[in-house]
Amino acid sequence: MAAIGAGFVVGAMASTAVAQTVESIKSAGTVKIGMLVDFPPFGIMNTSNEPDGYDADVAKLLGKEWGVTVQIVPVTGPNRIPYLQSNQVDLLVASLGITEERAKSVDFSEPYAGISIGVFGSTDAKVSKPEDLSGKTIGVARASTQDTAVTKIAPEDATIQRFDDDASAVQALLSGQVELIGVSNVVAAQIESAAPGRFDQKLQLSQQVQGIAVRKGSDELLDAVNAFIEKAKADGELNKIHEKWLGAPLPDFVAATK
Amino acid sequence: MYELNFTPVLAGFDQLLIGAWLTIQLSCAAMILGLIVSVLCAWGKTSGIVPLRWMIDAYIEIIRNTPFLVQIFFIFFGLPSLGLRLTPNSAALFALVVNFGAYGTEIIRAGIESIHKGQVEAGTALGLSKLQIFRYVIMKPALRTVYPSLTSQFIYLMLTSSVVSAISADDLAAAGNDLQSATFASFEVYIVVTLIYLCMSVGFSAIFAAIDKAAFKYPLSR
Repeated sequence: MAAIGAGFVVGAMASTAVAQTVESIKSAGTVKIGMLVDFPPFGIMNTSNEPDGYDADVAKLLGKEWGVTVQIVPVTGPNRIPYLQSNQVDLLVASLGITEERAKSVDFSEPYAGISIGVFGSTDAKVSKPEDLSGKTIGVARASTQDTAVTKIAPEDATIQRFDDDASAVQALLSGQVELIGVSNVVAAQIESAAPGRFDQKLQLSQQVQGIAVRKGSDELLDAVNAFIEKAKADGELNKIHEKWLGAPLPDFVAATK
Repeated sequence: MYELNFTPVLAGFDQLLIGAWLTIQLSCAAMILGLIVSVLCAWGKTSGIVPLRWMIDAYIEIIRNTPFLVQIFFIFFGLPSLGLRLTPNSAALFALVVNFGAYGTEIIRAGIESIHKGQVEAGTALGLSKLQIFRYVIMKPALRTVYPSLTSQFIYLMLTSSVVSAISADDLAAAGNDLQSATFASFEVYIVVTLIYLCMSVGFSAIFAAIDKAAFKYPLSR
């Protein structure tokens, strides 16, 4: 109830949004960054009950780059944009997927992370288009995004085996019970570390890139954020964070965009 | 107050019936095969061949002291590494048979041990062969004695089969999970699934009662 109330309040204050500059952040000495803490491995609470994860590391890196203290503000999926619009945070590093709809309310930096869903299988399986799934067995986690995506593209005579979770689907792939599975790149990275070189991505089902969000019209701040991301991509720092949390290098579709 | 809305469940009702049919097929096959395993193991246990008895004891102890979910994961995910790859439905059947066999063996052994030694001696005196003695003098009265525990174990087997959805077998529980995840009407779906399971249990009980009447009626009086 309190959360819903807070949502309303920040929603009502949205109209008071003002553009932010790097100068004002630097002179304050603190940058307030909103992030999710319930979206592993991007945003989690660690054992000492502090925000941690990919987003937290990116936020800390940004703070280091700008020479300011980072104050992480935990936000939730529905209230993250209102938090930004109502000046409660300066930036969102909150796994916010870049969509046209959201771009009407906030300005996005270039991508700093991404999630993709794909069909994975043995390196020697010959699958390059949805029709090739014909006659194959594909494991997915029941009712997941990948379940919906695979069900949509799979031909009639493909068998889709629905497991209770990703872990069982992965186990089915590893033990050879299914030939292919539909999973996100996060899980695929875990498979790669469990069985290096045995599996690769066959089909890309969907992909989404995430950007750092700033209030509408904060062009100068946005430029600074973009410069930060470009530098972090170029000097390998972002890649390092990606390796740390997702066990794989930054995906090409994130590194390459723009 | 939550308002129940069964429309999405009714739209997917045929899905549930297909799942229920697989549950019935799985259960019936597992009951028959499981009973055969149980009788053979019970015979082995009472045969006096020591190594055989040890093996059967080990089998019973392992199965009765581990969770069914673990057994089914072992069969579905573990056996392929030993070269035995089963489809989800046949792995489910295999797991149910193996699981029931351990419980059934103990039930039937109890029945066999309730037969007085004098009965067997009487059979021998009448010139019955070993097989005839086992079939008529031992098995039939033994089964009659333990029939109630055996049938409740059968019902339990049918209910346990809901676990096989974990390895993507398409039973009633899996159909319910699929429908639930597609419609988000989880409460309604599980109410209907519960009722279907209840109907199947009651149906099986009625069939078992009929079999009891037909097969195990005492010739004299009861």
